[in-house]
Amino acid sequence: MTPIQEFLENLKHTPRHLRESAMRTGRVPQTDRERSQSTFHNLFLHLQSVRTDRRSLRFAYTFGLGLILTASFVVLTITGILLMVYYKPGVELAYNSVKDIHFVVPAGRFIRNIHRWSAHLMVLAVFLHMARVFYTGSYKRPREFNWLIGLVLLVLTLGLSFTGYLLPWDQLAYWAVTIGANIANSPREVTDAIGITAWFDPGRFQKQLLLGANYVGQESLIRFYVLHVALLPLAITAVMGLHFWRVRKDGGLSRDESSPAPPARIGSRDVEVFAPTKTYGLMAVVRGRTPVVGKAPEGSVSSWPNLLWAEIAALMFTVAVTLALSYFWDAPLKEMANPAIPENPAKAPWYFLGLQELVSYSAFMGGVGIPSVVLLGLGLIPYLDRDPRGVGIWFGGPAGRRTFWQSAVYGLVSVLALLALTVNLGWLRTWFPTIPQIAIIILNPATVIVALYAAWSLWVLKRTSSIRMSAIALFTCFLAGFIVLTAMGSIFRGPNWHFYWWPSQWPVH
Amino acid sequence: MSGDPSRPFKWITAVCSVVTIGFLAAAAVRENISADWRGYQVGFRGILEAKAKGDAARATARNLPIEIRQIVVPALHTVDRCVSCHLGIDDPRMTDQPNPHRTHPRKLLAIHRVEKFGCTVCHQGQGAALNFQEAKAEEYFWDYPLLPAKYTEATCGSCHDPRALPAGSADKLVLGMKLFEQKGCNGCHKLNGKGGPLGPALDNEGLKTKHELVRASLKGSQTNWNWFAEHFLDPSGIVAGSLMPMPALSQPQVETLTVFMLSLRQRDLPAEYLAPDKIDEQYARLHPPAPDGATLYHRYCAACHDTGLHTRWDKKFARFVPGIRNAAFVRTEDDECLAENIREGRPGTRMPGWGSKAGGLSGAEVAALVAYLRTSAPAMALPAAPPRGDAARGAALFAQECAGCHGMDGKGLIAPALANPVFQQAATDAFLAQTIRAGRENTPMPAFGRAGFSESQIGDLLAYIRKWQPPVRNAALPGRHAIQEGRVTP
Amino acid sequence: MHDSSKRRDFLGLTALWSTVIAMGTALAGVMRLPKPAVQPGPLRVFKLGDPGQFAVGSVTRIEAGNFFLFREEQGFHAVSSVCTHLGCIVAHNEGEGFACPCHGSRFSTDGSVVGGPAPAALPWLEIALSPDGQLQVNAESPVPKGTRFRV
Repeated sequence: MTPIQEFLENLKHTPRHLRESAMRTGRVPQTDRERSQSTFHNLFLHLQSVRTDRRSLRFAYTFGLGLILTASFVVLTITGILLMVYYKPGVELAYNSVKDIHFVVPAGRFIRNIHRWSAHLMVLAVFLHMARVFYTGSYKRPREFNWLIGLVLLVLTLGLSFTGYLLPWDQLAYWAVTIGANIANSPREVTDAIGITAWFDPGRFQKQLLLGANYVGQESLIRFYVLHVALLPLAITAVMGLHFWRVRKDGGLSRDESSPAPPARIGSRDVEVFAPTKTYGLMAVVRGRTPVVGKAPEGSVSSWPNLLWAEIAALMFTVAVTLALSYFWDAPLKEMANPAIPENPAKAPWYFLGLQELVSYSAFMGGVGIPSVVLLGLGLIPYLDRDPRGVGIWFGGPAGRRTFWQSAVYGLVSVLALLALTVNLGWLRTWFPTIPQIAIIILNPATVIVALYAAWSLWVLKRTSSIRMSAIALFTCFLAGFIVLTAMGSIFRGPNWHFYWWPSQWPVH
Repeated sequence: MSGDPSRPFKWITAVCSVVTIGFLAAAAVRENISADWRGYQVGFRGILEAKAKGDAARATARNLPIEIRQIVVPALHTVDRCVSCHLGIDDPRMTDQPNPHRTHPRKLLAIHRVEKFGCTVCHQGQGAALNFQEAKAEEYFWDYPLLPAKYTEATCGSCHDPRALPAGSADKLVLGMKLFEQKGCNGCHKLNGKGGPLGPALDNEGLKTKHELVRASLKGSQTNWNWFAEHFLDPSGIVAGSLMPMPALSQPQVETLTVFMLSLRQRDLPAEYLAPDKIDEQYARLHPPAPDGATLYHRYCAACHDTGLHTRWDKKFARFVPGIRNAAFVRTEDDECLAENIREGRPGTRMPGWGSKAGGLSGAEVAALVAYLRTSAPAMALPAAPPRGDAARGAALFAQECAGCHGMDGKGLIAPALANPVFQQAATDAFLAQTIRAGRENTPMPAFGRAGFSESQIGDLLAYIRKWQPPVRNAALPGRHAIQEGRVTP
Repeated sequence: MHDSSKRRDFLGLTALWSTVIAMGTALAGVMRLPKPAVQPGPLRVFKLGDPGQFAVGSVTRIEAGNFFLFREEQGFHAVSSVCTHLGCIVAHNEGEGFACPCHGSRFSTDGSVVGGPAPAALPWLEIALSPDGQLQVNAESPVPKGTRFRV
């Protein structure tokens, strides 16, 4: 071939060569070995193990919540960046820029709605995911540290949602953040009660750090903006990466190791077990139970394409639900923030309403005390329950399921009874108007409910001699309490935080 | 176990993807095809083509781009997108078209060019919106919904003095202003610093949002004009405990007063938007012309004192209101005394002070009011009072003749409170004696002199009545010889 | 080893392609976002007051609108002062035309390019009389070279 002919031949074959050069195997994987390689050799996919246990793919085991969270986060990041093209973080401009996004920006209304609803979905999913991981005992060795990483992700998710809440600068945003900042200021209740505020005022420090001033204003808006678009997304991406990496290193998603895994079959034959022709070397040093090449990976299927299908399904499911919600319901936007006209009632975002209800009893306990105790308690779970049995089984078995239901009932009844008491009869301040505040900080519905739940959990511990059972009891009580308090704060509290059965009964001022 | 382990996932993916595509398409259609404003622009384009004269004009009409249109007025901080549907608003050919294509009525856009004013500066509403419901912004999270057409004149007052406008421009507003003065609303409500303290000041009433109004008993729409309209028809029904009497107003009068209320705005408009007559109005407020006593009386006094010729019983106050233009009363007071009563009021009663620090009336205005009251009767020289007699005898006389109206303890019932400290200091013995002697015509106060009281009996009564004089002369309270407006009289 | 099953995975293909189409549609929709649907800011129409204030033969630089207003015996015309090369503002030299300080483009008095990298002539802008009798130049509306506006 002459050089000119060779040149033209190469030009003609460029599309095919381009394709082949992109895929290092040269074609869509068709053998098990090729499937393994496509996962192992891929920059993004090699975060996954080459083979996936079939039980990890069961919907009724995990409900795909982790994937839903990841998908929501991706949707939020993309829609968030798009919104950043038009949103302007200045107090004079923010509200109108959001209105413009809603009215004139091409696809703005839809994208803004998607951002709002997927944010709510993500917060909901993070609570459900935590519950799933807890109830399946997936925090036990070697996954304790990943549980802690998950708690960090919980806090980061709530932080992202809360910082984003202020950005529209409407009445809803402004007053919700005012309340949030005052919750940050709640250590004042304790330092004032014991008289040390002049020397030690963490409340004011926290509030000023958050707001950049003593009130919610331009400084707060820009801080929340920086947190929301830069610092927290970076942090959460890094920690998410760590979280996935730990899943991998801890042996993949948890599963019940006590019974053998069902063999994987495709069609009428068992999945082939291929014999390797080389060792993995150091790249594959993992702890424990990751499917190791060379051993028969019964009960596992190739990650390509099965795990990928599960991930795509979770992604599309999340997207479909989010788009459906975003088409029918607009993200709320009230009048522009007006410091002179407080919302009444001024409510925090829904995931903080349970806290707001507790804060209405004692600012410190509701804002700092109980959340710290809860976070500490959650963090300690994997270190207190060291029994390695029962991993990968919901509630650990029928005994756990019983404990769950009993605790749910107990938790519901006790919180409802306490709420009924406070709504109808008041609390210490009503009966003893001059009682010192420190007494109320120590003895208030929040602390009483925690004490009641702790008592129940201890009783379950004694009865079952199982730490896990008592942990299930305590967790379930708190879950029930959280749901009831959130419902209380969102539905049954009206102007001046008075109790009303329905919003239609709220007095028009 | 057979089958492809990812089968359920493939199903979920396929279904959810189809659902996703569906919603994406639906959202795209909603925004790019079925949006209201697009339909209106296409309709307008058809009208332009139909009205076009000649091929060139028709071609231009056919090429009208369908796009969002807006008027940005940086000086007013507004972005108004009304013209995305109302394309023909300043096109004089569109007077025969239905809304939204119709030309703006009354040729107003010839003098209020759209590029300079936008729309919302006069019409309110949410200018940024692209559909009517959100532009109207009623029952919506927006502080200033679109003003109904019948109330649009309210905003004329922001740049104009309505009285200086040609007839037919802002008639309702002018009528409302006049009605406000005639009905004496200033008697209880301050406006521009002048008026009574019983009701709220009305200076920014037109810019109140629905959150600043008591809406518990509001029946109609949650708008501030509806609040005004219902409030005028039944004040204490809307604001519980309100002392405002029900003004006797016809429905058109309610409308004009509502327009006036809506026009009361403290707006920060750039100077180039204020008409010269507005600037004159602001100047005139600082340099008011000579006040007319009769007008002032109607504006500030008539609401409580009515014609002032008779005593009246006020149901809301559950007290009687003196007839201050009663000839018999005016005769016994000299101008200085009348002026003091007006300036300082009667603390402890419903009569507020009207001086410059209280009701906001200037010295000239108080003098004009006094002159008006004086028209009822010239001041007479009071005969000397008899010397104060025996208080015990006076007490017996008082209990017998006076307590029935003036109250046993002088606190007043259907007659003035004689024990009122301000009254005690303002009234001289001569004044008291003459009143007892000659009575007050046209009031229930009889002429005890004619009924047979001797001067010594009057003296006894004086001694008793003076027992209510406050022991220490309160420097804060006015007296006949107090420091007045910078002059010291002995 | 290859799989023996050669049946096409219709479900998988449908799922895959429907996902691709869904994501592609979403991407396409989202790509529309950055292009503004409506230009922010007020329209660039400049009112210059009474036409009589401009003497015949005068050249007036209107900074706010980035154009020069000429009045000659045949009437008014306005030439944009934005260089067609890369957008710098040209200067006017009496009798010679326009010159751009950035890369040396030169234009004749009627805006045609006579030197430098500018690819096109300086546009002439539409002039009209506003309803209130003022001379009005629309900086966003070019007219053919040579169009004069007679008062």
